[in-house]
Amino acid sequence: MAGKTACILACATLLGAAFSQSREIQLPAETTALRASTLPGYRIATQKCGICHSADYITLQPPAMSLKQWTAEMVKMQHAYGAPLDDEDIKPLAVYLAVTYGDAGTVPEADRLLPGPQPAIAGGAAIDVQALLAKNACLGCHALNAKLIGPSYHDVAAKYRNAPEAALGVAASIRDGGNNKWGAVPMPAFPNLAPQELQALAAFVLGQP
Amino acid sequence: MAFGDSPDRWPKSIGRRRFLRDAGIALAAAGGGALSSMAATQSQPFANGERELVAYPQKRPLLRITTRPPHLETPFSVFNEGVITANDAFFVRYHLANIPLAVDLATYRLKVRGKVGTELSLSMAQLRALAPPVEIVAVNQCSGNSRGFSNPRVFGAQLGNGSMGNARWTGIPLKAVLHKAGVAAGAKQVTFRGLDAPVLPSTSAFIKALDLDVATGPDVLLAWDMNGKELPFLNGYPLKLIVPGYFGTYWVKHLSEITVIDEVFTGHDAWFMTTGYRLPDNECGCVAPGTTAPKTTPITKFRVRSFVTSLANNAVVKVGQPTLVKGIAFDAGSGIKKVEACIDGGRSWQDATLGKNLGRYSFREWSLPIAPKEPGPFGLLVRATAVSGETQPSEASWNPAGYARNVIESLNIVAA
Repeated sequence: MAGKTACILACATLLGAAFSQSREIQLPAETTALRASTLPGYRIATQKCGICHSADYITLQPPAMSLKQWTAEMVKMQHAYGAPLDDEDIKPLAVYLAVTYGDAGTVPEADRLLPGPQPAIAGGAAIDVQALLAKNACLGCHALNAKLIGPSYHDVAAKYRNAPEAALGVAASIRDGGNNKWGAVPMPAFPNLAPQELQALAAFVLGQP
Repeated sequence: MAFGDSPDRWPKSIGRRRFLRDAGIALAAAGGGALSSMAATQSQPFANGERELVAYPQKRPLLRITTRPPHLETPFSVFNEGVITANDAFFVRYHLANIPLAVDLATYRLKVRGKVGTELSLSMAQLRALAPPVEIVAVNQCSGNSRGFSNPRVFGAQLGNGSMGNARWTGIPLKAVLHKAGVAAGAKQVTFRGLDAPVLPSTSAFIKALDLDVATGPDVLLAWDMNGKELPFLNGYPLKLIVPGYFGTYWVKHLSEITVIDEVFTGHDAWFMTTGYRLPDNECGCVAPGTTAPKTTPITKFRVRSFVTSLANNAVVKVGQPTLVKGIAFDAGSGIKKVEACIDGGRSWQDATLGKNLGRYSFREWSLPIAPKEPGPFGLLVRATAVSGETQPSEASWNPAGYARNVIESLNIVAA
């Protein structure tokens, strides 16, 4: 009988605890950045790798990986992990990573002189915002009206619409990325976007009802 | 202040941001940018093995492998603290960066669906009431534990030997939940998904599959307690799949969805079964270093391993006097039959004394006095044999992903 009473008390306590349990954590900040380089792959890496993982995934790797191995790894990221890489991103990325974090001796001089991707706009041409959103995987983290990993464009517009120089600020945020403004996952920088592209994206975001 | 916190200060804050960004690049260029100057570090014994020690929620400072998603390794000295790995020292591994940062039991539900008689949506309280709780002591080990020792090196999380741990898990048998739902005739596999998700929809979700006969085995649990306390958040609060003897890839955290299927799991969200976490499909699970396998199969069970925990590499012991060496051993669940150590280059092996048996899936402690006769350096080798007869190889095999290492461990010790 005493045992039963104890059980009832213990169970009530346990159940009470169970029903009140909500848990929340905060993670330490990211501290690793990619090593800056004039190689065009640096900008691509900054823009695209950081969407899904911190830079230490790269800086951690064994130091003697060849251009061929880094190339295979980029193809794996593109096809196996669904990274938003274009085919023409693969080579400059692998060159940057092999030169910076791998066996630079495996990278031919000619490969280091490759031009980076050019913004796909000509002077005065209309900018296809939907194509930009798709190419840069923006909609992986943002939706028009719902919070995904990042804020909805509606919420961004609501927060900044009436601020002075709102378009400039949003454009700068896209270009430079952001941290701890809307949630725990940082937004990578998009340094490869042309000023006109940044303006078009900012206008699109701020134009959300 | 970052842009966004204070719209009225944008022009100024943008300027500051630009300054910080440029300064950050300068620092990165000057110092490599990998480690902040204040953090304590510890080095693994392979190239590029320096790791920051960082404290995460409910964790003591652990070796940070990656930041987003979080991946933390246990410093190896922890394994000499006891046969049970403390909750605050237990390793943490995620695959996808969109991880839960909050769980509210008022809304949390475990869903059971697919080829079942009755689909279930269970609160933790309902789940706990389904069957009497059971406990099991079992090792969890990353498939890639010790990957950093692969030779030649391979891409992936560059782990030392600390991506393992041994804990007492409390929960209910998975089969009790499956029984409640009623597994339909013709069911083949059961898939498991947690609250973590990919960042982009183009990335596969992290979903693991077990054959039905494995999933309904007596030792597979849905656990809410670890070493008598609720699961640390980063180890899968509020519910974790425990698959004793199987590599950690199956121990799904923040478990939220169980699906019974009548085929072998395939499709976009099956990548971590169909492409990732696979070994060469042959007896050794290995290929010639640097080559690929023509056929692969999902990684499943641990291979027998043993470690010295009381001495670190390059430790000094007294010459001519006994030093009690201690360590741990484990296998996939047949249990440890014997552990032997050797200090004469592999010629003679001495049987260690096994410690208390906490169950066939647990670390098994062992101890053995050694007394080197001559001063100078010597190799200390340790080899475990499982009840199944499996033992450790003297040469490491190689596979492209660096999984399942279990070569005989060897330490350099100095007698003085």
